[in-house]
Amino acid sequence: MERLRALTRDVIPEPVRAFRAEGGRVVGYSCLTTPVEILDAAGLLPLRLRALGRAETDLADARLSRFNCSFCRALLQLGLDGTYDVLDGLIASNGCDQLRGMYENWQYAHESAFFHYLKVPHIHTADAREYLELELRRYRDAVAAFAGVTLGDEELAEALARQVRIRALLRKLSALREQDPPRLSGTEALIAVCAEGCLRPADYEALLRQELRDLATRPPLPRPRARLLLGGAATDEIDLLADIEGLGGLVVADTMCFGARAFWRHPEDGEDRDPIAVLAEQLLTSTLCPRMIEQFDDRLAFVQDSVQRAQADGVLLVHNKFCDVHGIDNALLRLTLEERGVPVLALEKEYGALGDRARIRTRVQALLERIGGPR
Amino acid sequence: MTTKTGLFDRSLALFDEVARIQGMPSDAEVEGLLRVLPPDVGHNLSHFFAPHIRPAGLPFLGALRSWLAQALEAREQGRKVILVPFNFPPELIMAFDNAVGLTSEVLTTVAAVGLQGGGERYWDRMMALGLPDHICSANSVELGAVLGGDFPPDAILSAAPGGCDANSKIHEFVSHRLDIPQFVLEQPVDDSPEGHELYRRYFRTLIHQLEDYLDEELTEDKLRRVLSGANRCAELYWELFELTALRPCPVPGLFNLFLAPLRFCMWGTPAAIEVMETMVAVARRRAADGVYTAPEERARVLWAYTSYYFDLPGLYGFMEQRGYSFLSDVLDLYAPSPFDLRSYDSMVDGMVAASWDYPMNRQMAAPSMSRAWTLDVAHWCRELSADCVVFCGHDACKQTWSVISILREELMRRAGIPLLVLHGDSWMKTTTPMSAIQGGLDEFINGVVRQRRSGRRRVRRRLSDRGGAGR
Repeated sequence: MERLRALTRDVIPEPVRAFRAEGGRVVGYSCLTTPVEILDAAGLLPLRLRALGRAETDLADARLSRFNCSFCRALLQLGLDGTYDVLDGLIASNGCDQLRGMYENWQYAHESAFFHYLKVPHIHTADAREYLELELRRYRDAVAAFAGVTLGDEELAEALARQVRIRALLRKLSALREQDPPRLSGTEALIAVCAEGCLRPADYEALLRQELRDLATRPPLPRPRARLLLGGAATDEIDLLADIEGLGGLVVADTMCFGARAFWRHPEDGEDRDPIAVLAEQLLTSTLCPRMIEQFDDRLAFVQDSVQRAQADGVLLVHNKFCDVHGIDNALLRLTLEERGVPVLALEKEYGALGDRARIRTRVQALLERIGGPR
Repeated sequence: MTTKTGLFDRSLALFDEVARIQGMPSDAEVEGLLRVLPPDVGHNLSHFFAPHIRPAGLPFLGALRSWLAQALEAREQGRKVILVPFNFPPELIMAFDNAVGLTSEVLTTVAAVGLQGGGERYWDRMMALGLPDHICSANSVELGAVLGGDFPPDAILSAAPGGCDANSKIHEFVSHRLDIPQFVLEQPVDDSPEGHELYRRYFRTLIHQLEDYLDEELTEDKLRRVLSGANRCAELYWELFELTALRPCPVPGLFNLFLAPLRFCMWGTPAAIEVMETMVAVARRRAADGVYTAPEERARVLWAYTSYYFDLPGLYGFMEQRGYSFLSDVLDLYAPSPFDLRSYDSMVDGMVAASWDYPMNRQMAAPSMSRAWTLDVAHWCRELSADCVVFCGHDACKQTWSVISILREELMRRAGIPLLVLHGDSWMKTTTPMSAIQGGLDEFINGVVRQRRSGRRRVRRRLSDRGGAGR
């Protein structure tokens, strides 16, 4: 686990710098609606943008506003202060309104040499899928032109197959925390997912295999006071999870985009199919993101299945202040789950705000008391 | 008699009271009416009855009453009530015999203007459900009312995906909580031919879904009946627009508040046509008489998005007294084109185009929000000779907040027009008091807009002294 943890200590970890020093090119992205397979197939390093809990946003606040989500502001801050100057390009997508605004400001103030905006529909219909396939071909062609390569189906299929294997490994890893007693903490699972965006996928796959071998002989963790499912908005706040788990609530499952949404429901394989069609289907059916309209039942089922499978005692739903997509979805999830007897805490927070931790601890403690169980 | 507690019932009751007025009331009659109303309602309605607004204000309130009464009647007749959003052409629902549309943002505005305490009690219901306080009050006041059992719709139509996350999600929330069907019209964030084609397909799919739901075919005749009236409204819209461009502006600021619900609820109806004809007549007469609301037109103000709707004399009346012309807000800059009535396809394509160009769709669902918004605002500033732009800073508009700094910089760079960023909820008075908004406008116009104007005059004079002016 230490190798994975080391990758999440810095926003730009050493392997990314080394890759670039050797002439490789690094392209940033932030949302799960970005198919990394195409970047991988083009020989680029897809670096998932993270802020790792950095709450300083003075530069970003001059462009975005205090009515925009603090995660987006934190990312923009790193785009403006030079932290992300290592990037050779950016892939934006319409994951949410505020992310779109974040990218527009980034480009406006600090233009990237290569910038592509991928437009992903919010509904899943035949027309939407047909359009998305066209849009993915535009994306593929733009990436190929930037990388100076030709991207045929063969190269894409290989990259797709690698992601299928990575997702399978992540599911195995995630299953370790679902055991009773667990062999992995939620914090460690988050570290593993955060590390994904720091390496070439082939290197990440190899590292995951190694970690899984090591974890096989690891002794189980002590039984927690309560087993929790964590859901909600994008967060890479490793310290926040460590804090929650320090109170005795082990995160045995999650439905986060820095988490299970990145690997849980994706198709097992895409062999013998047009890789672009496979990617389009994935984006419209498998991200389980509340940005998608008319898929609430899917998201609810995802949460409920995860609660049952991991034997979670309660659900903690988080969203950053001003995040409409998750804030409203969390409210609907909370009402629906509580009507079905699942204890839920819906928690609004600011991204990375250390000063707010005491309040968060109090709220989580209240959830744990509500659930009961050994102290 | 039962106590009316719902937004719909209370609004209809208010309009019923106003409808008792026969003919054009005298000042004394107006005073009498306003005195029997709760103070905050009387305060807001007083502006509808200001002498220069009254001729249009009264038929406008009557049109709103007819709109609500029609929904009530439709329900009693077993027709479907569909809650529709502001960023969608209501003509489509109006063309169906078996449905009636209620525009949620307009109902919220009615509450903000005409109900005691505004819409806060319905907003509180949403908060009590655990919804975050950064959702949009424009929708959530009315949706809080329907979740509380007030005139619940049979279905909800959302055109927000692509343009507004807050509205997309709250429509989905309400559809689930009420367990009613939701129809979705997504706006592609792509203005290439492929993006337009996708939207055209989405729109046609929506028509088929509505036909199935309502068990009714949308025929060419039905469309033509509705859209021919819409074309008359479009003519009147452009007449009013040309009058707005005059100096000093002869169009009362409150007419902007009339235009939005006319477009979003009743475009093309006889009631809408009557109100618009009156508005044009009033403005034309004022232009001919050279009448303005203040000794001098000190500033021509365009609102970059929404404005404020909870204190009408506090905003529109204040601006008129100060000589700050309220030219328009973006909600009213929908630039209607006449529909081609020759065929079913031409009419549907016309509605698709109108829907694409609706406020918010056109700007926020563009591939670049900041670019589309800047181009539009700069264009309208030029057309209406605006001196300055104000962004009201409605809390919930995260997408506009996220690119407002670009709009401000680009507007200055491209057109030399300053933009003021305010903050306040457009529909609820609890966020920012009107006095603070007035103070912000005064400071901006006196400290920036007027200084720039006199600075330009000084430069022109210096150039003139050197023989360089006029080029």
